[in-house]
Amino acid sequence: MAMKSLDPRVNRLGIPEEKSELQPKGMLDQFETYEAFLQVKEGKALEHVGPVHAPNEEMAFLFAKEQYSRRGMFCNALCVVKTENIFATDFTDDGQDVYNTITASPSGEETESFEVFHLMKRGKQHKYAGDVMASSYEDAFVTAKDHHQDAKPVFNVWICKTDHVLSSDEDDRDIWDTLKEKQYRDAIDYRAQDKIKAFKEEKSA
Amino acid sequence: MNTEALKDLLYKIADDQLILGHRNSEWTGFGPLLEEDIAFSSMAQDKVGQSWQLYKILNELGESDPDTVAFMRNAEQFHNCHFVELPNGEYDFSLIRHFLFDTAEYLRFSMLADSSYEPLALLSKKIKGEIKYHKMHADIWIKQLGAATDDSISRLQESLDLAMPYALGIFEASRFDEELKADGIFEGESALMAQWKEQITKIIDQTELQLPDLDALTPQTGGRYGEHTEHLQPLLDEMSEVFKIDPTADW
Repeated sequence: MAMKSLDPRVNRLGIPEEKSELQPKGMLDQFETYEAFLQVKEGKALEHVGPVHAPNEEMAFLFAKEQYSRRGMFCNALCVVKTENIFATDFTDDGQDVYNTITASPSGEETESFEVFHLMKRGKQHKYAGDVMASSYEDAFVTAKDHHQDAKPVFNVWICKTDHVLSSDEDDRDIWDTLKEKQYRDAIDYRAQDKIKAFKEEKSA
Repeated sequence: MNTEALKDLLYKIADDQLILGHRNSEWTGFGPLLEEDIAFSSMAQDKVGQSWQLYKILNELGESDPDTVAFMRNAEQFHNCHFVELPNGEYDFSLIRHFLFDTAEYLRFSMLADSSYEPLALLSKKIKGEIKYHKMHADIWIKQLGAATDDSISRLQESLDLAMPYALGIFEASRFDEELKADGIFEGESALMAQWKEQITKIIDQTELQLPDLDALTPQTGGRYGEHTEHLQPLLDEMSEVFKIDPTADW
């Protein structure tokens, strides 16, 4: 006896009604995560939007594009960085600037380029602050203080190597240039309240 | 302008987009991972949206309104190729179809962006971005799985072999190819197929997959003029089930 669903696609699967023993899943049955950063408009800072699971950075980009920049969302550029390649500092509270917890000095060795992201408000997302040349993640953090600290306190800093960033091509900006007439995709386009009201009026008339 | 030729062209493109959009949407909730489920569903919606735009152009040329055209016709009134109506099968087949069809779709709309028929040229330019992403999505998946493991390579290869005669059916000659070409509306199916071969070869060459000998295959044709496989009518019944409960309902 096959399971009967209102969804014909489910019926086509022919799932037996008897429950089969659920196999426990392995600890790591997911792909690794990548963090997506989006620039809504030219000139605006890239901002963290969230993670995607993917087997590599190219596919992470594909997924992030539909996940975080579809349905008429404005987008000018999109970047992905593997989560494990992002160095995160400690968090600070009570208006304390995380840069003011630094005791070390920059090494002055400009061996590699790093990208710096700031969290300016708890509960918001990290925003791109700029790049620095340094010798390590820790050194990039220390060096970023001289270049990117200003009056407003920063509560947490993310740093990644420039080489670890996959960015959308300028030539591919038109992938965000989509048909706007797709209201039917949005639940809001179906005005349920209006329909109910009209139905009730029709009944009482 | 030859309206009959134009309608022939618009119908086959619109029907391809609608039927494949519907087929691909059957994966919603069943995708291999959440991110891919979202991406594939979103592209399916793009295709349905594109078919709607094409039906609107047809409407302006005197055909019925888009909903009636989409939901009230029987299989023999559809002009889509057999390829898009085949059941989804496993994800390997759906991905191969996505790759083979969307490459043709991308090239077709690129050609149509220069069409002398302005409404079609404008629409083609407008949806260029959507389709570019579809092609990017397909290419990256095929490059990834076409060179990953023995299992992924053999499964894609089997699907590729199975799909190819149907894929060739995309380019079934039109009764109006010469006229459309003469009017500068569309360069024709054989010109499109030549570009398509070049494009798919470029991607397949970057994988462990083998492209079947296309000249040795018999294209699965007939769909453009109403001859379909047994799979189309059940799809149409399912797609229009709600609409047909009350075709006059205001949505």
